[in-house]
Amino acid sequence: MNKFSYVVKNTILNMRRTPLLVFATIIAVLVSSFLVFTTLSARSIVQNNTLRWQNGTHVVVFLDDRVTTTAHKQLQESLESYSEVRTVDYFTKAEAEDEFRALFKDQPDLLSEVDYEKLPSSLRVNLNNPSDYELIIERMDGNPAVKEIRTSGEAIERLLSLTDTLVVSASAFALLVGFAAFILIINTLRLAAYSKKKEIKIMRLVGASSTYIRLPFIFEAIFESLIGTSIAVGLGWGIIEYSKNSIVAESIFDITISDSYLIYLTLVLLLSSIVFGLFASFVGIRKVLND
Amino acid sequence: MINLNNVSLVFQGGSVALSNITTSINEGEFVYLVGHSGSGKSSFLKLLYKEYISTKGEIEVAGLNVVELPKWKTPLLRRNLGIVTQEPQLLENRNTYENISFALEVMGIKAEEIESKTNTLLDLVELNENAFKFPNQLSGGEQTRVSIARAIANNPLILLCDEPTGNLDPDLSVQIVSLLEKINRAGTTVVMATHDSSIVNRRKKRVIELSNGKIVRDDEQGRYILR
Repeated sequence: MNKFSYVVKNTILNMRRTPLLVFATIIAVLVSSFLVFTTLSARSIVQNNTLRWQNGTHVVVFLDDRVTTTAHKQLQESLESYSEVRTVDYFTKAEAEDEFRALFKDQPDLLSEVDYEKLPSSLRVNLNNPSDYELIIERMDGNPAVKEIRTSGEAIERLLSLTDTLVVSASAFALLVGFAAFILIINTLRLAAYSKKKEIKIMRLVGASSTYIRLPFIFEAIFESLIGTSIAVGLGWGIIEYSKNSIVAESIFDITISDSYLIYLTLVLLLSSIVFGLFASFVGIRKVLND
Repeated sequence: MINLNNVSLVFQGGSVALSNITTSINEGEFVYLVGHSGSGKSSFLKLLYKEYISTKGEIEVAGLNVVELPKWKTPLLRRNLGIVTQEPQLLENRNTYENISFALEVMGIKAEEIESKTNTLLDLVELNENAFKFPNQLSGGEQTRVSIARAIANNPLILLCDEPTGNLDPDLSVQIVSLLEKINRAGTTVVMATHDSSIVNRRKKRVIELSNGKIVRDDEQGRYILR
């Protein structure tokens, strides 16, 4: 029997000694990894969506129908002169109609009932920093050429703030569950090591190296950690794929997340789980093997 | 093969286990280490396989400087040694064959080699018929023989035996000593700690006597002098 098969055989034997603890450990790692994977993915999705909005229109200044071409040009020039403004585009009534028809193409009843004459022309403002939308509102306030001002800035800020809160709370919870997993791995390994105390003593007497004695325990910790993380990552991928086609995704925003980011996240989590297992095994059996 | 120069061992709390021990054991020798309980026999042996670390002095075993050998290199030292303890330390869930082959398994020996070597060892300790018996089905003497077979499985240069006949009746003790002499004749240096005077006196081997942690006698073909 070579050394590798000895280590593998003993890893399996160790795990069979305490199946319930092993199961609990895998579940704890799974929950922790799943929380990390899903919250980081969710944050990326929100960032992708908000980024798209941020690159688009931040403030829409609807113009009064009575406004003259000269007046709207003056207003556009005035907006363009502000340092916070990146670009200003004039949107005619005809373009507003085209946009409306495109947006509600699936609702013919609505399209047939709308009085397109009432759709106003507008100035679409793109800001360098979307959070400056309030400055624009202040400056346009009371201008007779302005009918109404709408902004997406506030919604973006709320969404980003909500996402950040979600990421922080989920990360804290993941950390807590991760710590529980860490304790469980340590206990599982210690139980296995205590039950093999005589065997370990004999191994030391015949000259087996410390690393060789530790390897089955290290393998066990890494294996449990990897299994939990792999299932969590698999579930995470499944949920993202499902969400891409769900009603929620269609009605709120696109589940836009790049495969390269998901692969990166998966690799980081799997690598972390190996480091996690290594560290847990180091802490778990250090004292037992030094006795 | 074994050199101790002015070696002392003091435990935490100040109790002196060994004091200024200086002696040498040559390759192929058979040495009895005698003395009353607490005289320092076990401590002497444990220093040789670095289970204990000496407080002062120099220890050389199989060409290795034991005192300066880093802890992580202790396995290198032990691969040159066979260690038999008073309690046979057998694995209850493994039979005789598996208990012996365990020492070979953990050293990463190939399966075919393990099989042939274990069978040779079973022959040597005359336990072929008990190969598939578990420790609780073996007598005390048989258990000790399994433990000796396991200790010599990796062809050690030195065999250290700490009271291997301590729990055995006189007849079985003789069998064990005969087995150790057989191993010694094959070239292995044997150091056996015992307080059994009848064995020592009958065998006429070198005797190192310890008392209160000091060597009080070192005789070629010595006897156990009851004090």
